[in-house]
Amino acid sequence: MGLVARVIEAAGIPTMLVSTGRDLTSQVLPPRSLFVNFPMGNPFGAPGQIDQQHRILRRALELTWEITEPGTIVDLDEEWPVPFADKVQKSLLAM
Amino acid sequence: MSTMEPVRYVDLLNQRYQQQGFPPYEWTINTDTPLTAPTKPLSECRVSMLTSGGVSHCSMPAWDANARNDFRLDEVDPGAGADDFAVNDSYYDTTDASIDVNCVFPIDRLREQAAAGVIGSVAPRLWSGFMGRIYSRSKVVNESAPALFAELVADEVDLFLLVPA
Repeated sequence: MGLVARVIEAAGIPTMLVSTGRDLTSQVLPPRSLFVNFPMGNPFGAPGQIDQQHRILRRALELTWEITEPGTIVDLDEEWPVPFADKVQKSLLAM
Repeated sequence: MSTMEPVRYVDLLNQRYQQQGFPPYEWTINTDTPLTAPTKPLSECRVSMLTSGGVSHCSMPAWDANARNDFRLDEVDPGAGADDFAVNDSYYDTTDASIDVNCVFPIDRLREQAAAGVIGSVAPRLWSGFMGRIYSRSKVVNESAPALFAELVADEVDLFLLVPA
């Protein structure tokens, strides 16, 4: 997806990427990213949390104008309510 | 900023690929990137969106949850109901996205931003594809992404939101 963003940006349309994988995103380096430190299935938050979903979407949209340095990753100032690293690890490595 | 340490997906995915007997994934590491400045205010922008989270409208076949090198790209009607999607992807927990697709593909929220005048409009087509584990990156860069760009130009898209999973 980062690659897709780069191609589309270079061709002339501004892009914004909403990421839940900070290390993945910083490797590919899309033009602009918002890092949301939530589980990978929740870049816009929890089900039915309309205000939260709007907040994150709005932040992503507005960042398109705020970011002027190519490759900037902005960290969203919100916290997922419970630790999730172990769960992610289990789901990715469960065989 | 969140105080939780970000999950180290690169390490986890390397382990997963090894467990599955896949060849080692050669990660793309870029040190520079392009930037195109927006030319109009957000309130005048037509916005489109792409998810790679295995999101399929009920009129389309479900995605293969273990897809690899799958170059399928679905057009999504921006008027589609949020309940009319299936989510299939073995690389993340799809429970929440299956309950509310807006968790990964905020189609309702995008429409509401347009209705509120925050954005100019929602593009006539949204997108689902590029499901990852694509080993042929040259095809993405040289064929698939430029083809998508042409579609975005045809739809007069001013801002493109990408949501990987």
